[in-house]
Amino acid sequence: MSDLLVLAEARWPAESGPDEPPPVVAGYLLSTFNPLVADVAERCLAAHHGERPAPPAEGADTAIVLVSASGDATSAEHVAATVDDGRSMGPLFFFQSVPNSIAGYVASRWGLRGPVTCLCPTGDAMADGLDQARLLLDDGAARSALVICVEQGGGPNGADSATALLVSCAESPPPHSAAQLPAGGVADPTEYVQYEAESAPGQPKPGPPTEPTDFRRRTHVTGDEHR
Amino acid sequence: MADVAITGLAAMSALGRGPAAQLSGVLAGSATFTPVDRFDTDARRVRLAATLPDAGPLADELATAIDEACLDGGLRGPAGVPVLLAVHGHPAAARAGRAEDGRPLRTAAHLAAELTERLGLAGVPRVYTSACVSAGNAVADAAAMITTGRLDRVVVAAGYLVESDQFALFDAGRGLATDGAIRPFSTGRTGLLLGDAVAAVVLESVEAAGARGVADPARLLGWARTGDGFHPVQPHPRGDGMARAIRQALGRAGLDPGAVGHVNAHGTGSPMSDAAEAAALAEVFGSGVLGGVPVSATKSVHGHALEASVLLELVITVLALRAGKLPPTAGFLGADPACPVNVLTDAPATSTSDTAVTVNAAFGGANTALVVRAA
Repeated sequence: MSDLLVLAEARWPAESGPDEPPPVVAGYLLSTFNPLVADVAERCLAAHHGERPAPPAEGADTAIVLVSASGDATSAEHVAATVDDGRSMGPLFFFQSVPNSIAGYVASRWGLRGPVTCLCPTGDAMADGLDQARLLLDDGAARSALVICVEQGGGPNGADSATALLVSCAESPPPHSAAQLPAGGVADPTEYVQYEAESAPGQPKPGPPTEPTDFRRRTHVTGDEHR
Repeated sequence: MADVAITGLAAMSALGRGPAAQLSGVLAGSATFTPVDRFDTDARRVRLAATLPDAGPLADELATAIDEACLDGGLRGPAGVPVLLAVHGHPAAARAGRAEDGRPLRTAAHLAAELTERLGLAGVPRVYTSACVSAGNAVADAAAMITTGRLDRVVVAAGYLVESDQFALFDAGRGLATDGAIRPFSTGRTGLLLGDAVAAVVLESVEAAGARGVADPARLLGWARTGDGFHPVQPHPRGDGMARAIRQALGRAGLDPGAVGHVNAHGTGSPMSDAAEAAALAEVFGSGVLGGVPVSATKSVHGHALEASVLLELVITVLALRAGKLPPTAGFLGADPACPVNVLTDAPATSTSDTAVTVNAAFGGANTALVVRAA
């Protein structure tokens, strides 16, 4: 079993600085869950890679492991209350109904194309997350992993918390992707910056579609649809 | 190649209880969607799902499936066996309230603890909440745990029973089919319909299976999980991540695409998702409605079971291979030029290969592929 090397780390709340809410993520409503994930992931990846996206060779083999016992409890409770009251549901809640969504948001901004795994911990959350990262590395499924632990509640005065670690293993086996993909089997890596590239300075960050009626009906997906 | 033996199967869905009911149901090819009477759907656009009328609470169904899979695998029972669990969450989580420190009083970990205590499990080292690839991730991780020597034997269990909250979310997000059918890769497809499924599979090293006298089990030859890195909720339009998953899984199995005789597709009937998947299948296996690898999409019969979907479809894929039959795809109206795949329709086909691939995808651009060989 491999030892892990921590490449970068970010926490919320940060050890220094004002205890302010994490930045809002466009397209995600009501809950702190998704902004917390996005915030610690962004700062952790920036600490290692600098500018977005990650270098294609690294991003191609970076996994995301998102660990949370609470999950997005705020959204789930809102949905339950809306259903129980017989009120109509806001369609955007569909797009944040599973933790994969915000993991995909992080992956798309940084060009991470390794496995996406979301877990509810059955032991210590970070220990579970790092164990999962180690498994993926030992299995050749990735060369590095962004492990994110996020909890709604549980902190002082019921505070939320989030931590992200970018880890790798210097002795991880060659990934199956590198070993098996034929020449030309990897699509043009430049297309994976589309989602990130839509963020013009001073403009809201891109989020899931704001016209969900069209979501299932679009037949062609480009970066244009978010502009 | 380090194969993994598949030695025990269990499943329930709207098709009935037990593996035999799943096989006969998908080979019959009749969709099982009926009006939902489990909760109020008056406020919904869509009111259909594939439900098993006598389905019990999720914990009970999971316990039954884990027990039955172990017995099917020739084990005395689940006592002492570790389980990897794939679920959306604790069924009561959203209505159970919070503790004084703000933590939810019920989580999926509580469900895992309940199963551990009821069945005397060796524990639940992972609970997967990765949406529609949860069980695919669990199976791939189980295989990795076995081949890296962490475990000799593990049960993967997954469950989703159609309930009011996810139903409302899919309805609000316009994800549900408006014409009463899932029509994978077909013209006129309008979306998915939800379905019940609880399944469990026993995976173990070939050596461990052989040591206890299991002769010639089905095998998981290859597995892979990838991300598109493209969009929070939309698939890569050319199915890049899915194609990589299939190629990685085949590469791990040491197989060329030509060795695969059947694909059990994700096939949700969603316009964008099916087109992306078809592009991936065409990229790996070659395109052509007549010439490509035979493709079934059994969600058209049993519905989309979300976190449990991969495991139900893995069970069905193994059973179909054993029977030498390939399930038809229900609801097919006609070939869509955007989906150039060889969709099996009408009647079950005879299998010409003992090897199949089952593929799945989820929000977050997550993909899984599993390569299976029949006993």
